[in-house]
Amino acid sequence: MNNKTKENKLFDEYLNNKRLPRQGFVNAYNYFSKLTPSKKRFLTKTRDSIIRSMGVTFRVYDNNKLIDRDWPLDLIPRIIKEKEWIQVKEGLIQRIKAVNLFIHDVYHKQEFLNKNPILKSLILESPNYLKECSGIIPKNKIWANISGTDLIKDHQGNFFVLEDNLRVPSGVAYMLENRNVMKKVVTDLFNKYQVSPVDDYTSQLYTCLSNASYSKEKNKTIVILSPGVFNSAYFEHAYLAQQMGVDLVESSDLFLSKDNYVCLKTINGQKKVDVIYRRVNDNFLDPEVWEKDSVLGVPGIIKSWKERKIAIVNAPGSGVADDKAVYAFVPKMIEFFLGEKSKLKQVKTYLCAFEKDKQYVLENISKLVLKPVNESGGYGILIGPGATKKELSQYKLKIQSNPRNFVAQPLIKLSTTPTLIKTSIQPRHIDLRPFILSGNKTFVTNGGLTRVALKKGSTIVNSSQGGGSKDTWIVN
Amino acid sequence: MLSSIAEKTYWLSRYIERIENTSRLINVNSDLLLDIPHDESNDLKHLIKITGHFDDFKKSNSKENVFFFLIEDEKNPSSIKYSIEMAKMNSRYLLTMLPKSAWEQFNNLYSDFNNGAVKRNSEDLYQIIRNSQRFFAIISDGMQRNDVFNFIKLGRFIERADMLSRIIEDQILRKETHVNKYYQNLQWSSVLRSINGYESFKTINKENLNQEVVLGFMIMEKLFPRSLKYCVDKLVEVQKFLPQSTNIKKITKSLLRNLEKNNVYKYDKKILKHLDNFQFGLIKLDKEINERFFSY
Repeated sequence: MNNKTKENKLFDEYLNNKRLPRQGFVNAYNYFSKLTPSKKRFLTKTRDSIIRSMGVTFRVYDNNKLIDRDWPLDLIPRIIKEKEWIQVKEGLIQRIKAVNLFIHDVYHKQEFLNKNPILKSLILESPNYLKECSGIIPKNKIWANISGTDLIKDHQGNFFVLEDNLRVPSGVAYMLENRNVMKKVVTDLFNKYQVSPVDDYTSQLYTCLSNASYSKEKNKTIVILSPGVFNSAYFEHAYLAQQMGVDLVESSDLFLSKDNYVCLKTINGQKKVDVIYRRVNDNFLDPEVWEKDSVLGVPGIIKSWKERKIAIVNAPGSGVADDKAVYAFVPKMIEFFLGEKSKLKQVKTYLCAFEKDKQYVLENISKLVLKPVNESGGYGILIGPGATKKELSQYKLKIQSNPRNFVAQPLIKLSTTPTLIKTSIQPRHIDLRPFILSGNKTFVTNGGLTRVALKKGSTIVNSSQGGGSKDTWIVN
Repeated sequence: MLSSIAEKTYWLSRYIERIENTSRLINVNSDLLLDIPHDESNDLKHLIKITGHFDDFKKSNSKENVFFFLIEDEKNPSSIKYSIEMAKMNSRYLLTMLPKSAWEQFNNLYSDFNNGAVKRNSEDLYQIIRNSQRFFAIISDGMQRNDVFNFIKLGRFIERADMLSRIIEDQILRKETHVNKYYQNLQWSSVLRSINGYESFKTINKENLNQEVVLGFMIMEKLFPRSLKYCVDKLVEVQKFLPQSTNIKKITKSLLRNLEKNNVYKYDKKILKHLDNFQFGLIKLDKEINERFFSY
């Protein structure tokens, strides 16, 4: 630690200001800090061979070459106390309810938008607003059935919502596999904690998908639509399909029957599909409606959807709320639709679409984190305090030429947690992605996927950019 | 079962069987080269004829060139390399369909081949053979008898019957070029070895090793897994577990009739014609499977 004062300002989830383990973290901290280097190497090796034999990989493009990398899992778990988690959970449920009501409103009466004219103009211009979805009523009025909200902890240890991922959030398969690996590697540590299980996610997902169906038949045909084997999340698509016992399909497996039902091509002939859990983005879903050249979608599927003959999860158009500008309005939505105060905090967000905010952002750019509105995966983000003068002035130009496209937030110093770096234990920044399923009931995972920035000082947790992961323990 | 998965399974199986058959063919012929006088053996091109891409082979027929073409040349659709890459491509879709150990075994096959030397010796080829045998052993021994299993079986025995009938045809044609009777018999015993059948053959025919008995064995020996009869019996068997198709049934029946009625192993001018018909029947069968199950 070359800069002690700076380090002290960070919140470490395991250690208090005196570098002593907090209450409830003692067992885990002692377990790892007492390991000899050779024992650490042994555990790491065991972990690696388990991950390899389970085939847990993620895909990256390196010099245009597709590479399957072994999934990076850090052995020191991220621990959250159940009492704290219950509150987060309630906050997440409240938030997703409001967001779903908001999406429904956008495609119907637009009451909320009419009260917020700037937001309305932003929405109507947004590429994520799909006018073709107007008037559609998905089952239970739920548009975003599956979401993965990104949470962070600030320097005081409070949870904040960073992002609502409502399109096709990924990572849940890794959350499940992390637990399976951990159970095999640090078995003893599980005996010291009562860790909430996570493995019912896939059955909850099945129920959630089944709830989205318009069909009254008891046994519904559910499929996962993947862009294909070269997609970076293909491992997850295959994993979820296998765990739910449903077919993993690509567009070429599906076609529209003469009476507009989406059907599967099987060796026994055609079979009607009730629910599609699609991992394909909106604009590729139907070449008759959006991207004409898309080979990932099913021609006519939107027609079938409008006739309520197929359920699409998440509903096309949900992405309208997955926007960093819309994010700024979520607390207001909660008040408007539910008449409640937001239970979860979120990060103050400056919308450059507002003249006043833009001025503030341009003047304080070196203190802020700048984000393009319609990107995900951490792309296009500039962290002001770490940027060079040149980068800042280039970004200013970008903002001035298209203010609508940018938001800014104060830099939150992400909390850290001890992480095994080779054989030493060092603090690394983390975030958390719980997964929320909205069906007849709302379900939140016990914990979620904790992502960790493995590079010293880095806050970029995305696995495509050198991030790793941790098993998340909700403990009693 | 999804049509696309059925199709990928079928082809994965065909390619792995093809990898094994091609390796066997090369190995036996390179052994044989050591036994036969040079002028008798200098035409290795017949190997390329068997595998069906004769026109693509432009180089001189040195041993090195022929073997490179058959093993490494990724532009040659009948090379081992090509089959391995195609098998790999199909396998990507079957991640959750195959038993885990079969999946791992296929990955071993793939990486062993790609980590191997470019200039292979016969030990390398044995390794390929062993790897594909292990793959099928895991399938036969430990896999649920579901549709995936059935399509593996279907692909495997069509491929095997196809390669077998080509080998037989080739040997009959080659025989006409060999003058010396002694080398003809040597040639037949090497063929038996290439199908792993020499020992089995000997338990049935202790005295003779001539064309007529060898052909009889390779075509009609219903208890030997690399005879035409055995392959077609398996194709009949697997159909009981697949969705009904009268056309496929009809074609398989006619394959069986072709073997039984024509008594083809009695060597005469007609045998080549019978073999032609047999191969044509396999092509029809493949086409019908495609139309019935994969791309209707």
